[in-house]
This record gives sequence, structure tokens and C-alpha cells, in this order.
Amino acid sequence: MSNPLHKKHDFIERSILSALAFLKDATMSEEYANRKGFLQSLDPRFKTISFLAFLVTAVSLKSAVLISPLYLSCLILALLSRIHLRNFLLRTLFFIPLFSLCIVLPTMFSVVTPGEPVWSFHVAWITGIITRPGLDGAVLFVVRIATSVSLVVLLSLTTRHSELLKVLRVFGVPQVFVMTVSMCYRYLYLFATMVENIFTAVKSRVGMVSHHRQGQSIVTWNIANTWNRTTQMSEEVYMAMLSRGYTGEPRLLSKFHATPKDWLWLLCAVVICAFLFYRGHTL
Amino acid sequence: MSGIIFEVKDVHYAYLGKFPALCGVDMTIRSGEKIAVIGANGTGKSTLLQLLDGLIFPDRGTVTAFGERLLEHSQDNEKAAHRFRQRVGLVFQNADIQLFCPSVREDIAFGPLQFGVAEDEVNRRILDVAEVLDIQHLLDRVPHQLSIGEKRRVAIASVLAIDPDVYLFDEPTAGLDPLTVRHIIDFIVNANQRGKTIITATHDLHIIGEIADTVYVFGRNKSIVRGGSSESVLNDRSLLETNNLIHMHRHHHDGREHVHQHLPLEPHD
Repeated sequence: MSNPLHKKHDFIERSILSALAFLKDATMSEEYANRKGFLQSLDPRFKTISFLAFLVTAVSLKSAVLISPLYLSCLILALLSRIHLRNFLLRTLFFIPLFSLCIVLPTMFSVVTPGEPVWSFHVAWITGIITRPGLDGAVLFVVRIATSVSLVVLLSLTTRHSELLKVLRVFGVPQVFVMTVSMCYRYLYLFATMVENIFTAVKSRVGMVSHHRQGQSIVTWNIANTWNRTTQMSEEVYMAMLSRGYTGEPRLLSKFHATPKDWLWLLCAVVICAFLFYRGHTL
Repeated sequence: MSGIIFEVKDVHYAYLGKFPALCGVDMTIRSGEKIAVIGANGTGKSTLLQLLDGLIFPDRGTVTAFGERLLEHSQDNEKAAHRFRQRVGLVFQNADIQLFCPSVREDIAFGPLQFGVAEDEVNRRILDVAEVLDIQHLLDRVPHQLSIGEKRRVAIASVLAIDPDVYLFDEPTAGLDPLTVRHIIDFIVNANQRGKTIITATHDLHIIGEIADTVYVFGRNKSIVRGGSSESVLNDRSLLETNNLIHMHRHHHDGREHVHQHLPLEPHD
């Protein structure tokens, strides 16, 4: 018979390891960004600005019919950027939009949104009536979420994380802030590996944690130990920066180079957004 | 060999003011010399390199570099700090500390950019050092995705891009495979032949014959117990044994087992 205590600890262990694996995967996964595709070939600054424009358009439009071309464009761009469509749909179409559908479900009923009934049903003594305005609102909400998530995922999949951070400079974010965030991101992987190793080392010596108090003390000790090591490392990294001439105001490589293709892409994005806004007002 | 580059006089240093790391160190380093600092773990080798790089400052005694005393406040002046740092480059023992940028290319560019080198020139230097260290294929990689040997070569590249007069290496071959060790030794020897001064902290005695003409041995008392030519130091069995630098070795030869010490310059039978 399985011990419930074992199950509980197994759950904690699996949660910690899954969280660390996710963190490492998130920092390592630049597989799509390294491929030679359409979006990968664009200057990250132009790409980010155009996607922001699409995002604002998707959020502002009040018609699912007008938003859906943007969603379709995301699918075409994903294909042109050599992204596996199944993975892309799994990331964008299912989890978050389905979750949002659950949130928006009550608003479809006449109790929350009164209006013209579209469909009614009886469960036991309860009568449920779905209304036209309720259904339209729910569809708009889900399409808007699916499109917004698709745009964000598409941008993050096709752009290296370091370049995305560098684009912040375009929006006037100070160089020192961008560098600090980049460094945090760079060391996340290192610390995730370190915590994982500590966990494995503790497990190899202690084995199965017998009591939750013992588990708590190990976790507390790990937090303190990780804190100590990160503090020590931050001092050493600062020394390494000083050693190579850092004096407080970092100067970094600006490797973005705009081409006519980037300007053309931006123009197309602006025209599409303007057209959708115009249609949104005239509908 | 000509002018004096570093002059270390009666230097004492303690971490947090209570954990001694160096106790009365004296040494003089001249331009173009190849020097190794050897000693067991915790004898103050890395601390000495950080002092020579102006990252920490002695509690007592003086460190003079290029005729000027190294003082904490003199490093606050950007021009003076840049002048010194363009001439002295430190390759840290832990490459993860040295590689703090999001890509290898940016890590190599970091030093020259801080010194105000124009971006075109920086890009040219990146390609040059990448070729010297055979890391062209790594330029757009993320540092944490590299192997230890690749990281070490990138760390060296990040200092080579500055082209300093003095290279300080902290355990440059620790934990590396034999081929990468060979590349690093070749790099150090070539740099010295180009007139660069090389100071290496290590306890890998097998590389010292190639990377150093002069060796300083640090003892458990956190000071230099002996300095001299690499040949004389490496052949002093009792000195190396006392300072925990050689140990007994168990071997199988022709079906029989025997135990003996290995000296780096001694042919083994």
C-alpha cells in the first residue's frame, strides 16, 4: 500500500523539479528564434513595434469578425516563420483561451446579460437561457484573448530574449536597467541549476524526508544558502565588470540594423491596423 | 625584460577584516615576464591576482603598478581607472562570473565598449579574437549553454579583446579536458612571445614548465615561502610536499602495484 506521506512529498518534489525544469526551459528555449524564417529576419525593434500595434488593435476592436483576420495572420506568420503549427496552437489556442472561456461562461446567460434568447435548456428545475448579446460578448472575449496570446507568443518565439530586452531601449528604458534585467535573466538558469543540484545532494544524503518539519528546515536552509551564494556571486560579477572597465554607466553593443524590408513590414502593419480601426468605427 | 610593472611590498589582506588571506607578501614583476603563483587551496593566490587587478586593496603594505600606487580612490577617477584596466586583464577562475552578458558576442565586446572603442573597431576585434581562440561558431550563443572549456575560451577572448599588457590568469586549466588545456597553454605562450606579461595562479604543476619562467610558492602561512626559476622550484621535492602540491600516487606496472610521488619535470618510469 502506498504511503500518503510519500505521495505528499513526491508531489512537492515533482512540483519543485517541474518548476525548475520550466524555468530552465524558458531561459534555454531559443530554438525557434534561431531558425531562418520570416519574422526571425525582421529587425526586433520593428517587429516589436508592429506587434504592439496589432495588440492594441486586437484589444480595441469590438467585433470578433474584425479581430479574426489578425488571428489568421498569426497562423500564416507562424508558418512563414517555420514554427510547428501544432505546438503553436497548443500554446495559444487551448490553455489560455479555454481558461478565459470558463471565466466568461456565466456572462452568456440571461441572468448576467439580458437580451434576445438564442438557446435555452433545462437541468433539473433550473432553466438556462443563453442570450445573443451574452454569446457575442463571450465570442469577442475569447477571440480577443486568443489573438493577443498568439501575438505575444509569436513575438517571443521568434525573437531572442536578449534582443527583446534590448528593444526596451527604443522605448527610453535606461541602459543600466536593461543590462540589469539581462543579467538577472542570464543568471536565472545558473541559479535554477544550483537549486536543483542542492536538492539532489540533500536527497542523496537524507533520502526520503520523514517529517514535514524536517522538510521545512531543509527548504529554509536551502533558501539561506542560495541567498548567500547569490550575494557572493553578485559581488564577484561586479568585480568582473570593474575589471573590464565598467565605471557605472554601461555601454553595450547596438547591433540592430534596419533594412528596407523592415520599413515595408512596419508600413504594412500600420496600414492593416488603420484599416481595421476604420472598419471598426464604420461597422 | 625591462621596467618594473608590479611592486608588491609587505602586503597584508584579510576578508571582512578577520579572515587573513595574505600575510606579508613581497614580489616584483617586470615587463614581459612569465610568472606562476602556486600553492594549495586557500593560500591566497586568487586574492593576490585581485589585488594586482585593483579590485581589492591591501589592509597593510603597498601595491605599485606602472610606477603608481594602486589606491581605492584612484580607481574612482574614470580616466585613471580606464588607463589601468586597459593595461591589466584578469581571467577569473569561474567563467560564469566573467560571462555576464546575454551572448558571447556582447561579452567579448563589453570591455572595449567601456573604454570608448568605436563599434566598427569592436566588431573587428570580436572577429579577430574569435578566430584566435577558435570560437567563431559560438559568437551568437548564450554563455550558459556552453561547455566549461568553451566558457573558459570565451572568458579569455573577453580579455584578449581589450589587448592588455598584463594577463592575470586564475586557475586557467582547472577542470578542462587535455585538448582545451593545450589550447590555453599555447595561447599563454604566444601572448608572452608577443611581449605580454603573464601571471598565472595555478596548482596544476604539469603546465608550469611551459607557462612560467619564475615561480612563487605560497604556503599555509599565506605568504611566499619560496620564489625562483620554475626548474629549481619544481625539482624541490620537499618544498612541494610540505606545501601540499604533490602527493603519493598508486600505480600498476607490469602486473605489480607501487606507490610513489610524481614530480612535474621528472620523467616517469
